[in-house]
Amino acid sequence: MSGYVVTILITITIYAMLAHSLNIITGHAGQISLGHAAFFGIGAYTAALFYTKAGLPFWLDVPLAALVAGVVGAVLGIPCLRVRDDFLAITTMGIGFVVEAVFLYIPFFGGAMGIGGIDLPMWGGREMTKSAYLVLILIVLAALYVLDYILGRSWIGLAWSSIREDEQAASALGVDIVRFKVMAFVLGSALAGLAGAFYAHFLTFIMPYNFGFGQSIMVLCMVVFGGIGTRWGPLVGAVLLGLLPEISRPIMEYRTLVYGLLLVGMMRFQPSGLLGADSILVVSFSRGLKRLRGGEAKP
Amino acid sequence: MTLLQVTALSKDFAGLHALEGVSFSAEPGKILGIIGPNGAGKTTLFNVISGIYPPTAGQILFQGKNILRMKPHRISHLGIGRTFQIVRPLNNLDVETNVLVAYGHRIYPSLLKSLRACRPPEALQEVRSLVERTGLKAYSKTLARNLPLGFKKRLEIARALALEPKLLLLDEPSGGLRFEESFQLMELIRVLRDQGIGILLIEHNMQVVMDLCERIVVLDHGSKIAEGAPREIRSNPRVIEAYLGREAEHA
Amino acid sequence: MIWQQLANGIAVGSVYALISLGLTMVYGILRILHVAHAGIYTLGAYVGLLSFRLVDNFWLSLVAGMVGAAVAGYLVERFLYTPILHLTRIAPLIASIGLFTAMEEAFRIVAGPHTLVYNARVGLGDLSIGSFRLTETQVLILLVSFLILLFLWLFLTRSKMGLAMRACALDLETASSFGVNVSAVIAMNFIIGSLMAGAAGVLIGVYDNQVWPTMGSIPAYKALAIVVLGGLGSIPGTVLASIVVGLSETFFIGVLSVPFPRDAVAFMAMILVLMFRPYGLLGKA
Repeated sequence: MSGYVVTILITITIYAMLAHSLNIITGHAGQISLGHAAFFGIGAYTAALFYTKAGLPFWLDVPLAALVAGVVGAVLGIPCLRVRDDFLAITTMGIGFVVEAVFLYIPFFGGAMGIGGIDLPMWGGREMTKSAYLVLILIVLAALYVLDYILGRSWIGLAWSSIREDEQAASALGVDIVRFKVMAFVLGSALAGLAGAFYAHFLTFIMPYNFGFGQSIMVLCMVVFGGIGTRWGPLVGAVLLGLLPEISRPIMEYRTLVYGLLLVGMMRFQPSGLLGADSILVVSFSRGLKRLRGGEAKP
Repeated sequence: MTLLQVTALSKDFAGLHALEGVSFSAEPGKILGIIGPNGAGKTTLFNVISGIYPPTAGQILFQGKNILRMKPHRISHLGIGRTFQIVRPLNNLDVETNVLVAYGHRIYPSLLKSLRACRPPEALQEVRSLVERTGLKAYSKTLARNLPLGFKKRLEIARALALEPKLLLLDEPSGGLRFEESFQLMELIRVLRDQGIGILLIEHNMQVVMDLCERIVVLDHGSKIAEGAPREIRSNPRVIEAYLGREAEHA
Repeated sequence: MIWQQLANGIAVGSVYALISLGLTMVYGILRILHVAHAGIYTLGAYVGLLSFRLVDNFWLSLVAGMVGAAVAGYLVERFLYTPILHLTRIAPLIASIGLFTAMEEAFRIVAGPHTLVYNARVGLGDLSIGSFRLTETQVLILLVSFLILLFLWLFLTRSKMGLAMRACALDLETASSFGVNVSAVIAMNFIIGSLMAGAAGVLIGVYDNQVWPTMGSIPAYKALAIVVLGGLGSIPGTVLASIVVGLSETFFIGVLSVPFPRDAVAFMAMILVLMFRPYGLLGKA
């Protein structure tokens, strides 16, 4: 496989991880987060700093990055998740701006130039090839889907869906809504941090503008496009929206405009996303399936 | 021990006295009616007892335990179940799952247990029996939002029952129901009462109230204006006045 | 000296009020955070500038900006929000954010990424009394804002539509059962809110002598902070919060020279107030 293709695939896989992590917060637990790129950034910077300043190897700094991102998610999440939905949107937006500003203005984080010199991991005495790295992160992504399956079948998943449907009713039914919201937020943040760490080691240098509001919108777009709350939606969204700019130069130029219009169009016409229950795709697919099975479409 | 003891309960909303010094008690196996004209504070009373907002003053003892300032899920856990006046089904989940959510109250506090699959046989058995007891068996796989109103009301009760409640707060369960549906629902409530559950019942349908309740508390503008057996309440001049308005003032 | 800062602060605050009121009015009736409102503000500035280039008259350009914004606001309500109100709560919010993002990009693509100059003059000249001085644009801001807010107050308290709007903000279902044309009220909220945002866009464009594609970014979240600070859905609360923020920014930065980013003042004020009054200054549960 050519180096260019591998690079694209690695980028898409990392975006898929990021979109998946946002889906836990927004899709499973129904909480809006408009600053998710902040945790992507926290993971990236943590890994970068531990690697370049403390000399920790990839295999340590990556899990640490996820941990730190999760802890920050807990610290920020606990006060924020007590408030109403609408406030949460504003607050997470604010978190996004503040974190980006921290990376930009505090010298420790390298300022506008960011941090460089972050290498691919070592394996068997040599630096990994890009293809091997791709395999590594694909394995991690697969593991995340296994985790998603376990959570989906569990009482935690049930509690999350009750919160998503109606918080106050869920509370009256014995669900500790703050606790479960924080759980989703922490898990989502930690996984975003994990993706960020992988991103840092792949890009080999990171800058604050990689992790701003525009990125938060992009991730949200991927989740929305694929289908909020569905298991595979974020992956589909990441693949399609990740490939699109690569395939079409004009779209690459105007990608922010495309993302914005996509969000509007999806919400207006296909709010459940490509893989959501009411989408054109799913409905016509299942109709087609019925036709195949029954020989004739039932009225 | 009294099941529920409410003492001098008050609730202010930025100057509006929704509840003022309300006191009463409830016993297991008895139905206490809560009636009063619109805006009397009945639903506010339920909201305060079930922990949705804290009172401005007063005390609430449930089985001797002070439940003031407890969060709603903790209060549900202790054994107080409630239904909402405007039904709140978990719309995109089916009936069985709705009840399962409430059943899970005993599992949620433990992180480890919560990781387990949520449809083990014991849970499903219990949930299905509740669904049957409340007459929802035919709809057990129907999405909650597709239920007719009468069955949504039953779902409210089924979910509350999954909490293994010792006290049930029923907020206008027969609201919006046709006579026959209402009658059936009342039968269900009677059965629950006979099983030893204490019930607080807010109702506008006077027939239902007089039939079912052993005692009735009457609220008006946030205060308790009368308490007693149905017969006494029916002929209490203050109660009649509250419902019909103060004629003298408008003269 | 203090009168000067007071005047500066109130001028800033009144523009904030013009922007934020639209947000609070939409929230009051639809419970949506209309983030795209900041895009409408920017649109007002661009339309105003365009008109100014054509007719070379401040007042006409102000009206054009307001009307352009109002039309946009109405279209957004009719074709985007109203059709998706029945969906989950976050759907309109996501749509709004998408729209705002798209609008800013559209401005960049159509009008170019650079700042454009909006040097409208009315011929009033500056107002000077001793060391107290208000520039012409500041006078315009105070004048126009005051007039608009006065009209708004009269409209809401004296007119039938105004009464209907207040009723709907209190309780939509009840108002509807009394025969209020809810659909017209919703449209009115957007139109009036957008008229004011358009005015604010023109006023700021003229005051700063700059119009650029992302000029709505900071007002976007500042207005949100102001609206939360004042109490979501409360019109008096929003006006109060706007003045508070305007004065705070002017005093803390201008007078006390606190080394604090000016635009963060709104958020700090919001967080501080929320700690003691979780529903904002004049908000209700």
